[in-house]
Amino acid sequence: MLTRYSGISPKSDLMLLQKLGEKLKNRSFLHVNSTRAGGGVAEILQRMIPLINDLGIDARWEVMEGDSSFFDVTKKIHNALQGNFEDITEEMWQHHFEVNRRNAERLGLDADAVLIHDPQPAPLIEYRKTGTWMWRCHIDVSNPVREVSDYLLRYCRKYAAAIFSVAKFAMAMDIGEFIISPSIDPISDKNRELTPDEINKTLVKYRIPADRPIILQVSRFDRFKDPLGVIEAYRIVKKYNDCILILAGSPATDDPEGETVLSEVREYAANDPDIYILLLPPFSDKDINALQRTATVVLQKSLKEGFGLTVSETMWKGKPVIGGAVGGIPLQIVHGITGFLVHSVEGAAFRIRQFLNNPDMTKRMGEKSREYVRTNFLITRQIRDYLSVWYTLESKGGSVLEL
Amino acid sequence: MEKSVWPFDFKQCITILKATGEKAKNLRELRDVISIVSGESIFHHVYQYFLKGHILEYTNDFAQWTGESLEESALSEHLSNTDPYAFENIHELRGRLVDVIDEYLKKTPGPKEVLPGNEFHFNQTITLIFPAEIRVRNLAEFLIAIKYVDGSSLYYHFYEARTRLGGGRDDFSQWFEDALGKGELAERIRAIDLFMHTTEGIRRHIADTVEEEVRRDMYGTTHNATVFWQ
Repeated sequence: MLTRYSGISPKSDLMLLQKLGEKLKNRSFLHVNSTRAGGGVAEILQRMIPLINDLGIDARWEVMEGDSSFFDVTKKIHNALQGNFEDITEEMWQHHFEVNRRNAERLGLDADAVLIHDPQPAPLIEYRKTGTWMWRCHIDVSNPVREVSDYLLRYCRKYAAAIFSVAKFAMAMDIGEFIISPSIDPISDKNRELTPDEINKTLVKYRIPADRPIILQVSRFDRFKDPLGVIEAYRIVKKYNDCILILAGSPATDDPEGETVLSEVREYAANDPDIYILLLPPFSDKDINALQRTATVVLQKSLKEGFGLTVSETMWKGKPVIGGAVGGIPLQIVHGITGFLVHSVEGAAFRIRQFLNNPDMTKRMGEKSREYVRTNFLITRQIRDYLSVWYTLESKGGSVLEL
Repeated sequence: MEKSVWPFDFKQCITILKATGEKAKNLRELRDVISIVSGESIFHHVYQYFLKGHILEYTNDFAQWTGESLEESALSEHLSNTDPYAFENIHELRGRLVDVIDEYLKKTPGPKEVLPGNEFHFNQTITLIFPAEIRVRNLAEFLIAIKYVDGSSLYYHFYEARTRLGGGRDDFSQWFEDALGKGELAERIRAIDLFMHTTEGIRRHIADTVEEEVRRDMYGTTHNATVFWQ
């Protein structure tokens, strides 16, 4: 498996993975989260577990089971940790704990290292017998509803360390806090090289003309992704450059506002024949890949964002991205080098025009973007970092370790 | 061609970021945290800046944040001009950074605050060092290797080594001098201004300097072979 990344991932990452594999050979590494499919965490775990096994480490992924009221509570916890007020009663917390207790009985939790993903399974730490336990938080918890974070912290503080995606997403916890950004898999359908024929099939399927430059944003139809702002920017650009706009996204089934936003977008597009609003069904990875590879300019004009991995997905295809300066986007877009950070519709329009009118600059920044993702945001780097944290915690050494 | 007394084994490194939990939203807070935060954090934000590979117009994270987020350009220039290798230890460097900010605060009215989300987060790192599995025994082999080793090898042997060895020395020049007896080459390598180049620029400078030396050893001149036969 890992050999498939030779020539793609940095050689130094692959070498360190081998070294860490030798150090941790035949040790066990358990991951626990709350969903087998859907969402970025499940997506990356699916790809990651076989790779860790390939290093000689016994990696396992378990998914917790819960009833609908459990997931109602965890949704409230999730919202509250991100700063939205939620009323969580003591009874709800008890149920949250009780479901964790049942899962602790069901799941074999014995492992040399255990990585617990997100708040849903956080109380499992109460059933730790052995091993190095780490809590991996994928969401921004920097401004939580205090009562909720305090309650959850009673569990989280018992872990050997916490891991966050971005330094500014973290909360003070009195335990070691590592920062490990998420990653993309360069050989998955979403990111692998496509043949011209494969790309063409997508264009034909969605009836997209290839005769003019394409501006693209791939995102859920969500106000925080500012689809109306993207249309407005396109209209400014259209006065100077003939181009088409594609807004591609999956319907957000867990977001009741999704339908409303989609209607607003359609209304705002006002039957402009050069605006393509694509509702992609689940498992459209190859089509997204093709659209990103075809586009001349790609936007991620978010007003609020998690890490925003679609930015890295696009950059990996040699396309610089124009992104809102929010969440994890500034970590991926180095302004003026791997893309542009913007703060307004006008800013987005100006940068789109710059890219459309300077193909050499676009190409140069695109090459830098791909290289930047190769160094920082590939799956091999994320595995390297997880194993390094495990190794570091066990070594109990100082800040410099020699392997 | 010279014979080496002992070989040079390239190493490389990676760093894992760790949050200290400290952050600053204005200049006064930045100054206060710099004065108490761990030495490892200062080391990360100043010396490890070069691990980022690309250099904008700054030479450390503090200068970048004060320039870009606080838009305090003059202070940013002062901080960028602080040579961390001119100090004996982190304690002295910390003192200098605090002095520079204090001087600036005396001259400027109340400090600006950044928007939420743009605060300066103080981090530190765990560094893992491991062999690059490249061993060279003479200058010609070194020349080939330096062109291809990972950027983190350059950081470890050229930048990080200065804090390890002191006296403006790095692993490469140390080896040239001690193992190959090439003191003059070592001086030329030490004279490369590490603040004026990206790590890739440093790679080119080292390679050019060593190549010149190899040619001199081969032909007794710095001219390349093509020029020689013209």
